[in-house]
Amino acid sequence: MPSLSDSPPSRPPPVPVETHPNRSVGLKEQRALPDPTRLAPEDAYYASSLLRARPSSAHYDDSLRVLNPNAVHATSVAALRLPPAVPGVGGRKEVRKLRGTSRRRRRKGAWKKLLWVKQSYPDNYTDTETFLDHLQRNPRVRPYDFWPLVADSTVIVQHVCSVAIFVCCFVGIVQGRVSPVSVVCWGSVGTALGWVFWDSWILREHAESVHVAERASEGDDGSSSSSMTSSVNPSGATSSRPGAQKENQVHGLGLSMANNEPNQIASRKGPACGGDVDGNTQEPASPLSGPASDSLGGLSHEADMSPMFSSRNRQRLSTVKSAFLIYFALLGLSPILKSLTKSTASDSIWAMSCWLLIMNIFSFDYGSGEGAGATKFPASLSTNAAVMASTVLASRLPSTTHVFSLMLFSMEVFGLFPIFRRQLRHVSWTGHVLLTLTLVLVAGGAVGITLRGGWAAFVVGSILGSILTALTMGGCSWWLISLQKYKNVVTGPWDPARPIIRRHWD
Amino acid sequence: MPYNIAMVSDFFFPQPGGVESHIYQLSTLIDRGHKVIIITHAYKGRTGVRYLTNGLKVYHVPFFVIHRESTMPTVFSFFPIFRNIVIREQIQIVHGHASLSSFCHEAILHARTMGLRTVFTDHSLFGFADAASILTNKLLKFILSDVDHVICVSHTCKENTVLRASLDPLMVSVIPNAVVAENFRPAEPRSVKPIGPNDTITIVVISRLFYNKGTDLLIAAIPRILASHPNVRFIIAGSGPKAIDLEQMLERNVLQDKVEMLGPVRHEEVRDVMVRGHIYLHPSLTEAFGTVIVEAASCGLYVVCTRVGGIPEVLPQHMTTFAKPEEDDIVLATGKAIAALRSNKVRTDRFHDQVKMMYSWTDVAERTERVYQGISGDISPEEFYGYYPGEGLEASGDRVRSFALIDRLKRYYGCGVWAGKLFCLCVVIDFLLYAFLEMWFPRANIDIARSWPKKVHQRNENHSLGNEQKNDRDRLHAN
Repeated sequence: MPSLSDSPPSRPPPVPVETHPNRSVGLKEQRALPDPTRLAPEDAYYASSLLRARPSSAHYDDSLRVLNPNAVHATSVAALRLPPAVPGVGGRKEVRKLRGTSRRRRRKGAWKKLLWVKQSYPDNYTDTETFLDHLQRNPRVRPYDFWPLVADSTVIVQHVCSVAIFVCCFVGIVQGRVSPVSVVCWGSVGTALGWVFWDSWILREHAESVHVAERASEGDDGSSSSSMTSSVNPSGATSSRPGAQKENQVHGLGLSMANNEPNQIASRKGPACGGDVDGNTQEPASPLSGPASDSLGGLSHEADMSPMFSSRNRQRLSTVKSAFLIYFALLGLSPILKSLTKSTASDSIWAMSCWLLIMNIFSFDYGSGEGAGATKFPASLSTNAAVMASTVLASRLPSTTHVFSLMLFSMEVFGLFPIFRRQLRHVSWTGHVLLTLTLVLVAGGAVGITLRGGWAAFVVGSILGSILTALTMGGCSWWLISLQKYKNVVTGPWDPARPIIRRHWD
Repeated sequence: MPYNIAMVSDFFFPQPGGVESHIYQLSTLIDRGHKVIIITHAYKGRTGVRYLTNGLKVYHVPFFVIHRESTMPTVFSFFPIFRNIVIREQIQIVHGHASLSSFCHEAILHARTMGLRTVFTDHSLFGFADAASILTNKLLKFILSDVDHVICVSHTCKENTVLRASLDPLMVSVIPNAVVAENFRPAEPRSVKPIGPNDTITIVVISRLFYNKGTDLLIAAIPRILASHPNVRFIIAGSGPKAIDLEQMLERNVLQDKVEMLGPVRHEEVRDVMVRGHIYLHPSLTEAFGTVIVEAASCGLYVVCTRVGGIPEVLPQHMTTFAKPEEDDIVLATGKAIAALRSNKVRTDRFHDQVKMMYSWTDVAERTERVYQGISGDISPEEFYGYYPGEGLEASGDRVRSFALIDRLKRYYGCGVWAGKLFCLCVVIDFLLYAFLEMWFPRANIDIARSWPKKVHQRNENHSLGNEQKNDRDRLHAN
């Protein structure tokens, strides 16, 4: 090759040098303290030296420190640094004087991570300092703590328990041990009680949010741009109810949307009650702009106290109305539901309802109803699966009364009970824990009775069930935490950037 | 010493694109005395052997195409015809392109089985998160665990490939793309008339209108740029799924007289579009190299681009304004660029000559040739891979990849607990297939193709052919 005959002398074997005049930290110091969040070049091909091995030797806390996003923040913020295109000669001289040792660098010039400059380094030169410079590991990981994790898992336990109770009730009804009417009566009494509680909580929140809105309107800012009636502004609630706020922080919960849901359901249930809702003091359909709601809160607070209560009553009335609507619709539909799956074999029904209930458990919205953590699956998927499961189960029952009772009970368990649970967790953490305990005990007992029968079986089932639940909760939480050390999310400049667009044009 | 090189990729002309033209332009290696053939799959209306005008021989192998001109990955079925072509053309080096091309992966695997040196060029960036990337990365690891050398188009691309395939970084070279500067000249008599404060400035955007090309950013930024700079016009060329959104935005804001949509343009016409403008806006979200911004700079356009992927390495600072991939920042950067042009601080008339100095295919061919020399042992490994005392890098050895089956199996076995065993199985089957083919279709029955006559190097090459044949036989016996 004619052109290459002269190339070898011009490319002497490269020696790693300081690549950048600005990177003034000595090489040796950096070598001695490798940044654990960065890969060394060796990591790429010595598979054994990857992070996976590192935390196993170190204590778990150390690995968590590695996972900690704050440690990585510095590198994440640094944009792709560009060395100056042509480093100033004067600056280079100064640096050289300071170091005075690297003779090679003087001859060759520093390697730059640029393509447009002709460099005297071979193409496969790997600069040990800038190589994988912008690699980040686990940039957005949030380490879990054991007890909060266990506390959060109670939500799942509650739901699984209520499903178990429902299934046991169905088995009892089918086997003739339990009267369907008594089941639905107890269920309805519980629902009514729950509604009374829920209503009082809503009332209290009304009063508080009105207070907040009043104070906010006296101030100058529009911090209470949320609607004055229902959605509690967490920042606003801090002063009036410090205890509740602390709970919210501890358990990572905030419930501003939960209150909206029952009303929405109510207005969905009957077209009649949709018209009743007064736009002034009830939910505004869309969040009002800040100043408007402020003036609303400021002007109408004292004058509106009594109309608000009356509208409160009107809403109660509409709830009762829609409850009766559902009641009678269900009563009318029961004969149809009874013969719905006559031609289907029972085996298929059991299998189908099993799958539907599993679907319900897995797609249930366990979140606190915050807008930010919106679930991927719509909550309606879960509810629909449950209703369909109870429909096919109900069609196995002998009489219309049975079918009606089971359907009503399933509405209560799968439709209304979750709303109550969510609100309860928001309002009182002790209540939430007590409810969880009760549910676990009842579910365990119900399973015991279903399997064996008798009150002894109930007690044994409760005890076994609660022990099993506690072990599962602890075990799963511990497992999840111990799995965290395998987390190895690698991001870098090669990932497609997420565009940040301020407003949408539609 | 001239080599016989086979470039293998699913992507080649008549399909247009960056990889395609890269492969075509690399055939400037022919001018340096090498013999280059291209193996690709059959395109509609193109099957069999074709010669291109510069003496480049293209094999269009009939194969089942599944998605966007990628062939069906059938690990072994390509082997018989590949072996035939390789023996017929006396290939010594197999050079595969593009990580989504299963043709290239299979060719590298078979070539290693046949005892040939292999090079792989990566043109794209991949993440690590989604399922498709995980699968692609595993396959890439399989193929690249036995490759002799890898070429990446930018340093970011190198980091990415090294991580994805767990490679020794010294086995990866960075050789950028280039442009044919003659095809991207600035407008002819550019009478260097300074842009006045009220003259119209035209912003050009040429890209496929896809999500990852940042069309959403473009859609959000255009109305704001036009609102704050009255004497600015846009020319947008390209087509894609986001074209409808773009047109909707134009209609909603009534900007039709300020934004010209050209639709898809052919690569030959790109220069004619570019020279109509002053600024080139490139809002892409990921880019391994970004040839188009080099082309724009070569046409004398000031470049505004997002700081993603390998883009910051491509052009010097006086030719570009960088923006974060955010709507606000793009508006800001474009405003800065317009102000810089209006104040005549930027000497765009010099860009063409500067770009010509930076990127040329002759340079790329020269550097690729050095890679070939390195892997064939014409340059000593110490010189090719460099010597780093006390770095620990030389400890990994194994850079000169031996063809012994047991060594190859060792390399594949390290790919993963289950994957390693699966890959070993594939390699063993491939080897048995090779032995079977050697018996069934003996080498002696395969005709040797005559090379395209060349003016220079003729004698030299004939001489080497004889040697090569002998070498091949020897290697076969050794196996």
